[in-house]
Amino acid sequence: MQSRWDVGEPEKATVNKETEQLKSELLRLNMGPQHPATHGVLRIEIWTDSEIVAHAIPHLGYLHRCMEKHAENLDYRGVIPFVDRLDYLASMNMEWGYAMAIEKMLGTEVPRRAELLRILTGELQRIGSHLMAFGTYALDLGAFTPFLYAFEEREKILRLFEEVSGARLLYNYIWIGGLWNDWTDEQLARVSNFCDTMEEEAKKYHDLVSMNRIFVQRTANVGIMSVQDCFDYGATGPILRGAGYKWDLRKNMPYSLYNEFEFDVPVGTGEVGVPGDCWNRYIVRMKEVVESIKIIRQVLTKLEPGPIMGKVPKIIKLPEGEIYARSECPRGELGFHLVSKADAKTPYRLKVKSPCFTHTSMLPHVAPGQMIADFVATVGSIDIVLGEVDR
Amino acid sequence: MHNELAALINKNISSANAKVNIAADAKTDSSITVDTGSIHAVAKFLRTNAEMPFNVLQCVSGVDYMDRMEVCYMLANFDPNAPRQVILKVTLTDRVAPVVDSVVDIYAAANFQEREVYDMFGITFKNHPDHRRILCPDDWEGFPLRKDYVYPKNYNGMEVFPDNKMNFEDREFIVRQDMIKKAQEASSTKQ
Repeated sequence: MQSRWDVGEPEKATVNKETEQLKSELLRLNMGPQHPATHGVLRIEIWTDSEIVAHAIPHLGYLHRCMEKHAENLDYRGVIPFVDRLDYLASMNMEWGYAMAIEKMLGTEVPRRAELLRILTGELQRIGSHLMAFGTYALDLGAFTPFLYAFEEREKILRLFEEVSGARLLYNYIWIGGLWNDWTDEQLARVSNFCDTMEEEAKKYHDLVSMNRIFVQRTANVGIMSVQDCFDYGATGPILRGAGYKWDLRKNMPYSLYNEFEFDVPVGTGEVGVPGDCWNRYIVRMKEVVESIKIIRQVLTKLEPGPIMGKVPKIIKLPEGEIYARSECPRGELGFHLVSKADAKTPYRLKVKSPCFTHTSMLPHVAPGQMIADFVATVGSIDIVLGEVDR
Repeated sequence: MHNELAALINKNISSANAKVNIAADAKTDSSITVDTGSIHAVAKFLRTNAEMPFNVLQCVSGVDYMDRMEVCYMLANFDPNAPRQVILKVTLTDRVAPVVDSVVDIYAAANFQEREVYDMFGITFKNHPDHRRILCPDDWEGFPLRKDYVYPKNYNGMEVFPDNKMNFEDREFIVRQDMIKKAQEASSTKQ
């Protein structure tokens, strides 16, 4: 672990005077905060030796809103729109994680239809988020076309979400105890159609990008994060699975109704490159899209008419105590540590464990020794969303 | 699980003095409190032991209770055969200059997490390799998530929310909200 200014002494050549004058110094280079490859406002201070990165130091906080302090002044329902703005590419999953924490403390039973529709929205959102990751990652590596393909399908998901929730990005749709709005049969039929087309599209993406020679050369064997690294740094989601470790909260510690569903947990197998490199992280995301489609199809067969809102008191007051609720988001495990006081309408403390924050802390570990272009590929492969990192 | 784990910690680390805070009902989570000085040894033990290992530190969180501070370590075990999670806590009675040992050398995840707790609560982590603010700017004063935090009136010579720059409609809204609040309070005291 390097401190900020400890960049190490350049090796001194003592052969003759000429080479002594040629001693190389590390060059300090700022990547970001306004850099297209940093997915928002991440600033990374890179110390380079010509093309090789010696150290990378992430500087966070350009999007810091201190959402946790805001939450302390809002009632439990009022926090949901703020939670939306954490990971703005997977707002549904963020809301769901928060709602689950509150419901568990409240002892609310969520109706079956609401749970199934939550899984439906959550998995659709996962597809949308992975499509975004796919598109922007290809864009990072210089391919523009996949971005347009990805957005074509993502648009269908956003249209559906717009119809049921009224918003395209920040939904405020999953409420404590259930959902705000029900899906009509017509919309569910469109979801079914979407599954069919998406399955075909996923194959197309696979042909277009996954085995593309340039793409493979840019990503295979680049930015390797081993399983041990992932445990050390607490990495979860596609990073951990890309390293070849089969761990998914939906399977291993099932929440909601996930234990009723049949799906696989894709892991990086190293068919190209080695497990834990950028290519394997990418392919795990693309395989997860297919698994999500499987889950959505099962939801559609299980859905029956029924209520979508459980019994929740008008003014929510939680019992005194604390909870740490985890859920599986597209980018990894999201955790909410909630401390409540008796007879208080607001959370006493709400701590968000965000997966991207954890993954950003791995960058100083993987960067040394990489080429700058490879470092860009590594940053892209962890699929960072700064709203969640800076909170 | 918590009782067994606390007994295991006490058996192996005599100075830990692990206590279980049993939750009142199944709705909330139980936790384990250990002595502040022993956190490094306890973390090392929990990561390496064979009986009940915790191989991942998920996050470090601070809580300010006005009379004391708490640092919570969310530990988890990523093993499909024995998945578990626990909240490990230390209590800091000194609110002015709280200090606790860093666990970065055991769980590398603690690096950013502890920096965040320092940034938000002003809790110093001893032996941290890179101890500085992470989310707030380097020149920020005060620690925002403390309960007695006072919002700054100035930042770098700039006035925060100057009257002449405030959105008039917003201000109207706030004034109206205050009036409603006062009316509600008055009516509730009458009853």
